[in-house]
Amino acid sequence: MTLEPAHDSDLGPVGLVAVAGLLLVSELLGRLDVSIFLPPASRVAVAWWGLITDGTLFRAASSSLASLVKGFLSAAVLGVLVGLAMGRFKTVRYLLDGWVNALMSAPLSALVPVLIALFGVRDTVVVATVFMFSFFVIVVNTLTGVRGTDRSLVEMARAFGAGEVALFGRVYLPAALPAVMLGLRLGAVQAVKGMVVGEMLISLVGLGERLIYYGNTFLITELYAVIVSVLLIAIIASQLVQACERALVRWK
Amino acid sequence: MSAQMRDAEAPSAEPVGIAIEGVSKAFGPVQALVDIDVNVRAGEFLSLIGPSGCGKTTLLKAIAGLMPVDAGRVVVGDRVVSGPGRECSVVFQDFALLPWATVQSNVEFGLLLRGVPAPERAATARRAIAKVGLAGSFEQAYPAQLSGGMQQRVGLARALAVNPQVLLMDEPFASIDEQTRRVFQDDLLSLWSEERKTVVLVTHSMEEAIYMSDRVVVLSPRPGRVHQVLEVPLPRPRELRDVRATADFARLVDGLWQILRKLQ
Repeated sequence: MTLEPAHDSDLGPVGLVAVAGLLLVSELLGRLDVSIFLPPASRVAVAWWGLITDGTLFRAASSSLASLVKGFLSAAVLGVLVGLAMGRFKTVRYLLDGWVNALMSAPLSALVPVLIALFGVRDTVVVATVFMFSFFVIVVNTLTGVRGTDRSLVEMARAFGAGEVALFGRVYLPAALPAVMLGLRLGAVQAVKGMVVGEMLISLVGLGERLIYYGNTFLITELYAVIVSVLLIAIIASQLVQACERALVRWK
Repeated sequence: MSAQMRDAEAPSAEPVGIAIEGVSKAFGPVQALVDIDVNVRAGEFLSLIGPSGCGKTTLLKAIAGLMPVDAGRVVVGDRVVSGPGRECSVVFQDFALLPWATVQSNVEFGLLLRGVPAPERAATARRAIAKVGLAGSFEQAYPAQLSGGMQQRVGLARALAVNPQVLLMDEPFASIDEQTRRVFQDDLLSLWSEERKTVVLVTHSMEEAIYMSDRVVVLSPRPGRVHQVLEVPLPRPRELRDVRATADFARLVDGLWQILRKLQ
């Protein structure tokens, strides 16, 4: 077999084979009773169905998704605005660059107790955690996109009489759009992480609380069912942003 | 025809002259241009040539108002250049097309920036696209789908769409293959003979400078000064006469080479 460059769509079947293989291995290991922490896939599926039918998953997920959407949308709007400002204005960039870089690589979960102290044990903490986890990667990607704008396009627009506003709207913004969309996609995945971390740390609401509960009570199949649900949410969130990307960036 | 109607149809674009008076420019410690004096006559086709790094592109940008000068001034028509003006259009070496916009939108870009309403913009752009020989199936294509030669035709159409009096071209054919370039040069010459614009062409090709221009300004290596101004007395229209095959053409190109060789 040779490794040739392939289009993403050609690799769809390969991805399915990988998932099927993983399920098979987990089923076999589970049946061999290696450890109670490795249940067979079929029992996880049964537990998952149980959580769906008794409404547990729906209740937990709706609380989680509400926090996810609120946190991510505000991070997207503010992140893009801050990124654009940093890209266009030197002063803003010098002012914020250190903070953004430090916080982007910092272990942000460490800040969650501070958020709990600020907001109390409420789902506001989860929204804030989602925001914190996704904000910086959106800022940095937007900034990179603006800074990467082809100088000759800027010069061309100036030659045809573009002022600052036209330059921004007609050149910098569309030039940065692919990078912005990439930032949003990475940000969406980070947002799901933030959602789970926040909920696990406040242990009160959502899928994160269920993870802690099933983990502490050794309901391992239910625990895996929730983990799979979280994975699915991450994949769907990323795919949704990608769909927007394809609609907006048609020229690539 | 009333003045109003004439305005609506096509703003008059009588070619204007360009006076470059004692222009100097330095980039930090590097002196790029020293005391440049050049007069471009209205409707003239003038080329700037010189060794790499002699500042010919810098001089073109100074005329375009894209680069402030340290000393001296540039006057286009009766306007002292202090920034980009409506008289000039620039054609760029790397085409500088918006990759996210169609050919039609790219050609409309200058008109859009000047606040021309959409229907008029579309019609003017379509005429410009036809002028450069791209009309038909290319309007809705994206730049990446076109060859280099076609992309530069879009760049030229965008420059012509705003009906400038002066066309500033920065090595427009440098990244286009030889066959395409010759056809394009001929097309540009016949367009120029119809539209009578003042053209300043930056080039590093001696054949191109001689073939296209009325006069060739030779700049010396850095710091760039005007070394010599060469008249090109070849008859026009050159694009219809196989001028490249004549002894006069060869002699003029060789003369230019003798000048440039001593400058290396």
